[in-house]
Amino acid sequence: MKLRIAHLYPDLLNLYGDIGNITTIRKRCEWRDIQTQVDSVYGNKKITFTDYDLVFLGGGSDREQLLVRDKLISMKKEISAYVENGGVLVAVCGGYQLLGSYYKLEKETIQGLEILDIQTEVGDTRLISNVVLENEQFGTIVGFENHGGRTNINNHTPLGKVLYGNGNNGKDGYEGVVYKNVIATYLHGSLLPKNPVLSDHIIKMMLEQRGLPSELKPLDDSIENEAHKYIVDRFVNSKK
Amino acid sequence: MRKILAIWAAKLAAAGARLLGKNGSSMPGSIALKICPDILTRLSNDIEKDIIAVWGTNGKTTTNNMIYTVLENQGYKIVCNKVGSNMLSGVVSAFISYSTLGGRVKADYACLEMDEAYARIILKYLTPTKIVITNLFRDQMDRYGEIDTTISYIQMALDKAKDATLILNGDDPLTASLGTNYKNTRYYGITENLGLNLNETREGRYCRACGNELKYDFYQYGQLGKYHCDKCGFSRPMPQYDGKNITVDDYVSFDVCSTHVDLPCKGIYNIYNALAAFAFCDSCGIEKSDIAKGLQKYKGQIGRMEEFTIKNKLVVFNLAKNPASFNQSIGNIINEKRTKDVIIGINDNDPDGNDVSWLWDVDFEKLKNDSITSYTTTGIRSKDMAVRLKYCDIDEKKMTVGGDMKQDILNAVNGKGERVYIVVNYTLLFSTKKILSELEEEK
Repeated sequence: MKLRIAHLYPDLLNLYGDIGNITTIRKRCEWRDIQTQVDSVYGNKKITFTDYDLVFLGGGSDREQLLVRDKLISMKKEISAYVENGGVLVAVCGGYQLLGSYYKLEKETIQGLEILDIQTEVGDTRLISNVVLENEQFGTIVGFENHGGRTNINNHTPLGKVLYGNGNNGKDGYEGVVYKNVIATYLHGSLLPKNPVLSDHIIKMMLEQRGLPSELKPLDDSIENEAHKYIVDRFVNSKK
Repeated sequence: MRKILAIWAAKLAAAGARLLGKNGSSMPGSIALKICPDILTRLSNDIEKDIIAVWGTNGKTTTNNMIYTVLENQGYKIVCNKVGSNMLSGVVSAFISYSTLGGRVKADYACLEMDEAYARIILKYLTPTKIVITNLFRDQMDRYGEIDTTISYIQMALDKAKDATLILNGDDPLTASLGTNYKNTRYYGITENLGLNLNETREGRYCRACGNELKYDFYQYGQLGKYHCDKCGFSRPMPQYDGKNITVDDYVSFDVCSTHVDLPCKGIYNIYNALAAFAFCDSCGIEKSDIAKGLQKYKGQIGRMEEFTIKNKLVVFNLAKNPASFNQSIGNIINEKRTKDVIIGINDNDPDGNDVSWLWDVDFEKLKNDSITSYTTTGIRSKDMAVRLKYCDIDEKKMTVGGDMKQDILNAVNGKGERVYIVVNYTLLFSTKKILSELEEEK
């Protein structure tokens, strides 16, 4: 048995250490003797989404996002069906924006995949900050955001409440979206390495979706937890 | 009068800072700017020959200092921001320290490395006659947003210096593309395949002219290599300054324009830096053999493979600010066959970039190597670095999360390895150098 991961366009969507998320899932599976296979999808290659247990969509610059959008639109139906059937999808930053209806830039509007009912518009400044979120199921989530877009998530469930940082739009106090087995967020690069609880949740979703037992062998996460705690202490606890 | 007042105040402040042992190379400039905002225009008017701007992600300080060394060897007088204070205030400081109390700058050249984001601001006050661009990699992205933003900043600065001669790294498609609309462009590069085969993050694999994926015959490192675009015909320009017969032992040497150059430093990237300096000096009409002689006198800057001897053990100290320079440092560590203890220091202050997610773009996996006897992570983000090493499957028993740099260095020196390698990012540079110098003195 092997869990299969599709990493979409790592050559275009690879800002801010996105590869760290893939490394984390891969290693945390390996350390539990769960085999993984990562397929990097390049160019105009089409993939069969149902062959995969996790699809990962990273962040890119506006220019690169436009190139990716054209490739994705041609697979819109397949991606949508994958998500509606409970396929696990993690989308970060630019990838997150592309799941919505559109991303409105100053001069042009990038049409999205319309998988989520969210809309993004570019703001005057970039929202750049360390971030700490609170999620009922996962506890705190730490990360870093750097985005020009402001995203309105309408009635979607957010990934978390912002304890520190800006979040989706710097106004409503929430960050990201959780929809079915989709986790979409502005927290980039090192999202998963320092959030082992969230990482294991993703692995569990992958196993369940394959109809496999999702009980995970516990790992010693003290190094990850120390790094996680440092961020929470520095940006949240010290401010109280 | 404001100019004179500004110079006096800044010089006084600089003297005060030196008395207190502070390393405030941009502070005098900040003071002068408050008193006389256009001081840079006034002081730079005195430059007799060329004002040179050096831009690029990596190699600015080295290239700028190589140019300085050659010019100095020719007997020229030069204003230069040698230590890499490269925002507006740092450039002003360089001019102030060279200026007389009467406000005269008697210099032939000004060699100025500039921060990519600040170049367009500095160019409001002075116009370089020659511009060297070394390369464009991802760096401190939380400040610049994205590499596209960096390029747009550079483009804005270039628009202010339309008559300048550009000296560009032709092996980097991002840098080379900037020369397309310029009449006076000279390229340098390396046509022979060095065969380094590093596995790295590559920027700009897409043609900036048409968006098509670039085809590479080979890569040197990063996105540097021999490339072309099938769609629009953009391709690596043939360099006028082509590094040939390259050898890399303890030190590097190469031939360019039928002239042999021995460099007293290590690292492939220094060949590119030296080619840039060579191209510039040649454009000034300096004899090629004199350029080679000058380059041989170049002394490495602090934290550029700097060597210390502490308790009879060799300690090699290197600055690495971004994935490209980190991958180079890692290459240096694992190419050394002797055993060693390794310290990696990561800070997240503003000059470092607050975002450390780039650590995941560095090929730390290569550090899982039997020649390394211990790993110590230190600096503000020591814990992030420890997580990164853990996910390289490095033995946790060999890892320590440190924090007190002096103690971390002493532990490493007392470790099992034959040598010690220290790699830190920017804001750990000066403090670590100070500790290393003190420990070396102690004997």
